[in-house]
Amino acid sequence: MTRRKKAVILTAAASIFAASLASVAEFKVEGAPKAAIILFGPKNDGGWSQAFEEARPALEKALGAKIPMVEKVSEDSASISPPVERFIQRGYNIIIGTAFGYSDTFKKLSESYPKIAFLNASGITNGPNLESFYGRTYQSQYLCGMAAAAASKTGKLGFVAANPLPVVNWTINAYELGARTINPDATLTVVFTGSWNDPVKERAAASALIDEGIDVIGQHVDTPTPQIVAQERGVYGTGHHRDLTEFAPKATQCSSVWTWAKFLAPEIEKIKAGSWEPAPYGAFPGIKEGGTDIACCGPAVSADNKKKIMAARQSIIDGNPVFTGPLKDRDGKERLAANVAITDPELWTMDWFVPGVISQK
Amino acid sequence: MRDDVSDATRRASPIDTAGNAVIAKAHAAGRQRRFGQISIEVRRSASFPLRLFALAAALVTGLGLSAFALILVGVPAESLADEFVSATILDPMNFKAVLVQAAPLILVGLAAAMAFRVRFWNLGIEGQMIFGGVGATLVSLLHLGPEWARLPLMGLAAVTCGALWASIPALLKLRLSVNEIISTLLLNYVAYYVLLHLLYGAWKDEDGFPHSPAYAASELLPNLDSGVSVSLVLAGGMTLLMTYLVARSRAGFYMRFVSANPGVARALGLPVANMVLFVVLVSGSLAALAGFVVSSGQEGRLTQSFFPGYGVSGVLIGFLARNNPVAAAVVALLMSVLVIAGQNLQVFYGIPPSMVQLIQAVVVMSVAASDFLVIHRVHWIRYRA
Repeated sequence: MTRRKKAVILTAAASIFAASLASVAEFKVEGAPKAAIILFGPKNDGGWSQAFEEARPALEKALGAKIPMVEKVSEDSASISPPVERFIQRGYNIIIGTAFGYSDTFKKLSESYPKIAFLNASGITNGPNLESFYGRTYQSQYLCGMAAAAASKTGKLGFVAANPLPVVNWTINAYELGARTINPDATLTVVFTGSWNDPVKERAAASALIDEGIDVIGQHVDTPTPQIVAQERGVYGTGHHRDLTEFAPKATQCSSVWTWAKFLAPEIEKIKAGSWEPAPYGAFPGIKEGGTDIACCGPAVSADNKKKIMAARQSIIDGNPVFTGPLKDRDGKERLAANVAITDPELWTMDWFVPGVISQK
Repeated sequence: MRDDVSDATRRASPIDTAGNAVIAKAHAAGRQRRFGQISIEVRRSASFPLRLFALAAALVTGLGLSAFALILVGVPAESLADEFVSATILDPMNFKAVLVQAAPLILVGLAAAMAFRVRFWNLGIEGQMIFGGVGATLVSLLHLGPEWARLPLMGLAAVTCGALWASIPALLKLRLSVNEIISTLLLNYVAYYVLLHLLYGAWKDEDGFPHSPAYAASELLPNLDSGVSVSLVLAGGMTLLMTYLVARSRAGFYMRFVSANPGVARALGLPVANMVLFVVLVSGSLAALAGFVVSSGQEGRLTQSFFPGYGVSGVLIGFLARNNPVAAAVVALLMSVLVIAGQNLQVFYGIPPSMVQLIQAVVVMSVAASDFLVIHRVHWIRYRA
């Protein structure tokens, strides 16, 4: 046996040993648990960031201490690391991030600080002390799609979306699938703005959709602009992030909302109790576990349809997977065979659309 | 012939140590305006100690006003000095964060300062940064060259792409008189959409998310043994190079001439257009280097959000430094102290981010205002009966 081979085997053995150690050793923070939130936007942005600010009181109760936050931390490591390290320096040991763009930096930080618990919303990195989490928004948006079809007179629905990413694509597909349970002929015309936060383009997109004769506008962008335009033009809409009736009380019929407190409070309890085990591929809570839910329904949705929506919500909680076979995409390709439910990896790579979705390629 | 002209002008006009556009000032020197009993006169030249004193006084004023505002919103007075001075500069971890922040800020500050020296208002720093990141990433994706040469090649590609991108508004201005304030600003959007096109298309990571694949270990700007990052060394080196270019080289002298009076410069046979083009390419290259430093030194891949904010910061630094490279480096360092100190305040006193921006604005405005007092002499005129 050459020396080199031996070395390889030794390294392999050592790494297996290390891995078994890592899985046995339970994660425990040192000292009293102290949590801090690193917020992507301003805490009153009316959407994504504000949803965390609104979850904070419940989290403070779960933790039994105040949870400070830093706002407007943009997605580059020179902006992320300093506040996180400042918190750690002063004894904070639970750091909650709120952006996809924090993923790499949180991974690096979690390796430099193995005794600190890191959680990151919409992140894509995980580790022994790092857990990314995101809500199963396709569940809530499926229900909002039902509400949209119920409110629509023309059956022509519109959607203002940010970027054609899997998380956005599944929202769009679920929305259309939901709509078709109410109106089998419903179509969904989608405009991608290319930005999460661009009120000007969102306004242009929503206006163009309404000019096409669309009478309900769904959205997966960060500002309430599409709802505001819907209200100005006398049509309906469905919101995202938070209950957007705050901005368009007449237009908004349903909103997909984040319920972070319901997911994060038990996570904090577990970290406190020393029984926290980060999900190896990230946490992906649905309506049942508390990542997402709906605020429904407005007066344009009839009582009968509202009953249907609430029954569908219960069925999702009971385990209905929303995406289930037989399911073909809009080009006729079979995506799910009969009675096969979609898997999480298939969700996270979704780059196809269901029949009825009209969008640029 | 040209040398004779420059020598003659050198003797005729006082060239100050900072290498500022003295010809312009000499032109205006002695001009007076009266406001009642106050007379304001443009100084012939401002001494170095006077400049230093004005800067120090401005910082004290700005920080004093900020401290007052912070005490009003409930920050304990005794911990203020602690947060600003000891926690930011004396704490090694914080100081490291300041230096990390400073390297790209120095580079964009230099980029602005250089362009402003030939009256080219380069508001396209962010677009040039994007192309710097794109150039560097191209080398990484194609695995160009051997591993040891990868980083220099990435830097070179970044500079080339940034300079090419900057050449568009430069040529538009020189050939077609297109206003560069508009063209550079709007080209930022074009650059951003090129970036998105790459990150959502050909350069998308295997994991399906819109950022480039991570750079290999040999493609990351390392730290020296002393803990200082190569990024900072690069920024420091560029500061010295630009200082030489501005203060010692013939190009620097031409730049002053072009800045003071392009018409006369052209009439005397100076290569005005080439001079402007050269300086804009240098400016674009510096901005592109900033993009490279952020991508390779901090992010470890090309992301969608490595550049926002640097454009405005660069212009501000260039303006406050009065286009002097060394001053730009100092101002960039002070800016990063302000940023990090601002974050500390937010972290520990729950000061809203708008308050932090207010403080930064007050300090910056104090420094800008002090400049007025350096350039002008204010007299109080007493009337005799």
